[in-house]
Amino acid sequence: MKKKAYLGIDIGSISTKGVIIDENNQFLAECYLWTEGNPTEASKKVLHELRIQFDQEHYQVVASGTTGSARKLVGAMLGAQVVKNEITAHAVGTTALHPDVRTILEIGGQDSKIICVENGVAVDYAMNTLCAAGTGAFLSSQAHRLGVAVEQFGEIALSAKKAAPVAARCTVFAESDLVHKLQVGYPKEEIIAGLCKAVAGNYLNNVAKGKKILSPVVFQGGVSKNAGVVKMFEEELRMPVIVDEKGHLMGAFGIAILARESRQEEAFSFDAADMEFKTREVTCGKCANHCEIICVYRGKELIDSWGNRCDRGAIR
Amino acid sequence: MEIIKIDDRKKLAFPRFHHYNLAIRYIVEQGLEQNYLLLPEATKETTELGSKYSPDYACAPFKHTLGSLIEAVNAGADIVIETGGLCRLDYYGALQREILRELGYRCEFVNLAEYMGGKKKEMIWLAKRLNPKVNIPKLLAAVYDGVKMAEYLDDIEALYYRNAGFEAQEGSYRKAYRQFLLEMQVAENHGEIRDGYQKAKQIMENLELRRSQYPVRIGVVGEYFTAMDAHSNQYLQEKLIRLGASVERYLNVTNCHFRAKESALRPRIRDYVQFNMGPTTTWTIHAALDYAKRGFDGIVHVKSFGCTPELDAVPVLQNISRDYHIPVLYLSYDTQNSDTGLDTRLEAFYDMLERKKKVLR
Repeated sequence: MKKKAYLGIDIGSISTKGVIIDENNQFLAECYLWTEGNPTEASKKVLHELRIQFDQEHYQVVASGTTGSARKLVGAMLGAQVVKNEITAHAVGTTALHPDVRTILEIGGQDSKIICVENGVAVDYAMNTLCAAGTGAFLSSQAHRLGVAVEQFGEIALSAKKAAPVAARCTVFAESDLVHKLQVGYPKEEIIAGLCKAVAGNYLNNVAKGKKILSPVVFQGGVSKNAGVVKMFEEELRMPVIVDEKGHLMGAFGIAILARESRQEEAFSFDAADMEFKTREVTCGKCANHCEIICVYRGKELIDSWGNRCDRGAIR
Repeated sequence: MEIIKIDDRKKLAFPRFHHYNLAIRYIVEQGLEQNYLLLPEATKETTELGSKYSPDYACAPFKHTLGSLIEAVNAGADIVIETGGLCRLDYYGALQREILRELGYRCEFVNLAEYMGGKKKEMIWLAKRLNPKVNIPKLLAAVYDGVKMAEYLDDIEALYYRNAGFEAQEGSYRKAYRQFLLEMQVAENHGEIRDGYQKAKQIMENLELRRSQYPVRIGVVGEYFTAMDAHSNQYLQEKLIRLGASVERYLNVTNCHFRAKESALRPRIRDYVQFNMGPTTTWTIHAALDYAKRGFDGIVHVKSFGCTPELDAVPVLQNISRDYHIPVLYLSYDTQNSDTGLDTRLEAFYDMLERKKKVLR
C-alpha cells in the first residue's frame, strides 16, 4: 500500500511554486520557477519537475489544491479538490510551520499583505488595495534602472553606511526621487538601501496601518529573500523578523494542507502535465454588460467556464 | 371628467439607485400622474458612459449616476431629476446639468439640491413644475405609500441577505425576492404594496433553511451610495451570502431618513465620536459599534475611492476593531470592472472568519 501524499501549487503573478507533502507535513518534493506570464505552461513545468523529484513507488498523490492569482485556471486543469485564495493558504501554511507566530508579513510580486494570528488561527488581515507600490515588481523595475540584478539587492543594501531618503508612497514619485538622487551623486548602494527602507516603510504605513504587530514576526514572499528589506523591517519594528528558508513555498504548502484537510481523495495523475490546455475568451452578447466568459478546454473538450454574472451567460 | 391621454404625460427619470427607483416610480406615476422611465439594470456600458464624461476626480457615484442620466435621456426622458446631499453630492446636480447640456441634450433638468430647504411651499412649487395640474392631496397620499414601499423594500432585502445564504433549496430565496420586486414594480395602490410585502415575507419565512449552529455574520457599513447600490459595489452582499455568510446592512433609506436621526444616534457612539463628521459617518460608526457589540464576526467597510467623510471614519473603525477584536475589511471602489480582486479579498475574509470561529469555539 502506497503512502498518501498531497500536492499544492501556488501560481503567482511572477513565480509559480509547487510542493508535495506527506501526512506529517514533510516536504517530499518542491519546485520554484518564473511564471513568465504563462500560468498554464509554468504549472506544467512545475508538475514535470515535481514528478522527477517525487518517489512514486512509495507515495501516491491523493488530493491537490491550487492557489495564487491563476488558481481557478490551473485548478480546472488539474481537477483540484481545493481552489482557495492565497491569503488563507499563507496563513495555514505558516501557522503549520510556526505554531507560535503572531504576525505574518508578506510581500510578493504584485501584492503585499499582513496577517495577524492568535492561537494559531488568522484573526485579521489586510491587503494592498489600489496599487502595487513597494512590491517585488517595483524593486525589480528599479533594479533594472540601476543596472543591478534584483537578487543582489540585499547584499548591496547591507554594505551601505546609510540609506538615502527615497519616497515610496507611490512608484511614480519614487522613480523621480531616484533619478534625482542619482543625479545629485548619491552612491548606488545608499540608494539601494534607501529603496529597501522605502519598501519596508511603505508597507508599515499602508498595508499594516492600524494593525498591531506582535512578535514573533514571520516575513515571507519573494521580497523576504532580500536581506536589505529584512534588516529595515527589524530596525523599524525593533524586533527580530524570522525568514523561513521555505518562506517562498508557503502558499503552496498551505494549499497542500488544505487539500489534505478537505478529506476528498482521488488518485492524482501527473498526466495533466502532458495534456494540451487552451483557454478561450467569449464575450457574452445577451445584454449590454458584455461579461467576459473564460472557457477552458482540454484538447477539444470544454472542462470549465466562468466569468458570467448572471444565468443567461452560463455555458454549462 | 377630463381624460388625459397617456402620450401627453411627460416622462420623468431619476438615476438608478439600488431598488428605490421602484418607490420613486410609484410616487411619480400615482402622485404626480406623469410617466416614470424605469431603467433596466445597470451594465458596464452605463459605467463607461458615465466615466467618459465625468471629471477624473469625481467619485464613483457621480460617474454611475451620470451614466444613468445619459441612458435615461437616450431612452426618451423629458425631465431628469438629480438629488442633492450632504457632501460633494450637493454640487453634482449642477455639474451634471452642465455636462448634459454640453453634450447637446435638451431635456429639462430638476436639481433637488435647490429644493433641499424643505419648505412646504417650495415643494408644492416643485410639484407644480413637474405637473401643472397636480392634485396635491393625491400626491401626499402617494408619497406616503411610496415611503412605505421603500420601507418594505428595505425590510425584505434585509431578510433576504440575512437568510438566503442558508437556503435548503438553491435559488428559492432569490425567486421569492425577485417576485416581490416585480410586484412592487407594477403596484398601483396602497393595498397592492401591502399585499405584495406580506406575501413575500410569508413565503420567505416559510422557506426551509439549513443554517449551521454558528453561522458567520458579517455587517456592511460605509458610504451612502456605494454601500447600498449593488451594481456600484459589484454585488458585494450577494457574493458574501454565496460564500455562506449572513449579511446585515443597517445603512438604508429607511434607517437614514425615516427612522434614526443623526442627533439621536450620536450619543450612542459617544465613546468614539464627539461631533458629526459628515453625511453618513455617524451611521457607519454606529452600525459598526452595534455589530461589534452584538458579536458579529466581521465588518466590511465600503466606500468610493476618495470619499473624504468615510475616510475620516476609518481611524474610528480601527479603534472599534481593536477594542472588540472584530476584523474590518476596507474596500475602495472606483469604476473597475474586474471582480477578481474583490473575490479574493472576500473569500479570504470569509475563510478567516470561519476558521477563527471553529478554532476559538
